[in-house]
Amino acid sequence: MSDEKRISGEKQAKFDSLKERWLEYDWQLIRGEPEHPYMHQALEEKLVEEVAAGRRKPTLRFWNWGGNAVVLGRFQSVRNEVDPEGAKKHDITITRRMTGGGAMFVEPPNTITYSIYAPEALVAGLSFVDSYAFLDQWVLEALQTLGVDAFYVPINDISSSGGKIGGAAQTRRNGVVLHHATMAYDMNPAKMLEVLRIGKEKLSDKGTTSAARRVEPLRVQTQLPKEEIIDRFVEVFAQRHGGLTESALTEAEYSAAQELVTSKFGHDEWIYLLP
Amino acid sequence: MNRKHGEYKVPGGKLVVVDLAVDGDLLRDVEVSGDFFLEPAEALSSITEALEGAPANAGVDGWAQRISAGMPEEAQMIGFSAEAVATAVQRAVEGGDA
Repeated sequence: MSDEKRISGEKQAKFDSLKERWLEYDWQLIRGEPEHPYMHQALEEKLVEEVAAGRRKPTLRFWNWGGNAVVLGRFQSVRNEVDPEGAKKHDITITRRMTGGGAMFVEPPNTITYSIYAPEALVAGLSFVDSYAFLDQWVLEALQTLGVDAFYVPINDISSSGGKIGGAAQTRRNGVVLHHATMAYDMNPAKMLEVLRIGKEKLSDKGTTSAARRVEPLRVQTQLPKEEIIDRFVEVFAQRHGGLTESALTEAEYSAAQELVTSKFGHDEWIYLLP
Repeated sequence: MNRKHGEYKVPGGKLVVVDLAVDGDLLRDVEVSGDFFLEPAEALSSITEALEGAPANAGVDGWAQRISAGMPEEAQMIGFSAEAVATAVQRAVEGGDA
């Protein structure tokens, strides 16, 4: 990755100057049980609603994936992104998330996903594009403490000198910004290429013809177990942002999300919104 | 009517995909998709409605103007633009059967 795509020094200085904004919130941490891919998407909508309504404090959630999935961006078409035979062969649940961005191939042991649900005030005065990098500054720091030369490539790529690590996506609703990101802890490039369709046009400005070769997973870069990497993410978030209080999904949140699976996220009308 | 397919990747930005049919001289059954970001999400229908029934010979500028004119004022296109969508339309119209 060439240096000119990295965040400029001037921009970095602006992010650093706004760092103290994080301290204004009593951040909550959720590290939950494995959930079905539909349920995770439903929890996103529900938790945004809870923070917007003031029933939940700003929260960082680490996802525990309960099954294989392709997660489509809000505006992607299923047939353009998913190979139906590969998806069937590898027992993939096709899901659509509420944020834009690109398709992710998820196998539970290989994937680190987290979400931030925060008041928009945290990113006030930043452009949409800049808010992506700003909300992941803590992740870059955590990765750097693990020896990964991590940096942001706008708009939404978390990258490193070894290769791309992951990507983030956002949406905003009722004064809340939802920012979630998925990173490759490990990957199976052959399986990924059977499940995802990656067209030539998408790679046209990337300077490489192999989608798999663009990614360098964290297992290879750190040689650490996945849970240790997540532990470090939690430590660095807490250090930078004035603490992180253990929290859990409430019964009300959980049952409302289950209802959203039934009424929306598990429904073909949503999943095949763009067929 | 044959479905036609066009894609355009914004350099340093996102991919825009357009599927449509040409009925006589007009665009029909337009679908716009891609890995872009758009706020609010509902503004996607403003984009497709601006293209539905548009002249198939309007050209990139013509389609882009229609899209811009139809977007809600508060809408934000992130990683793409009206011109990027219009470029994908052009590629679909000129080129490829889906």
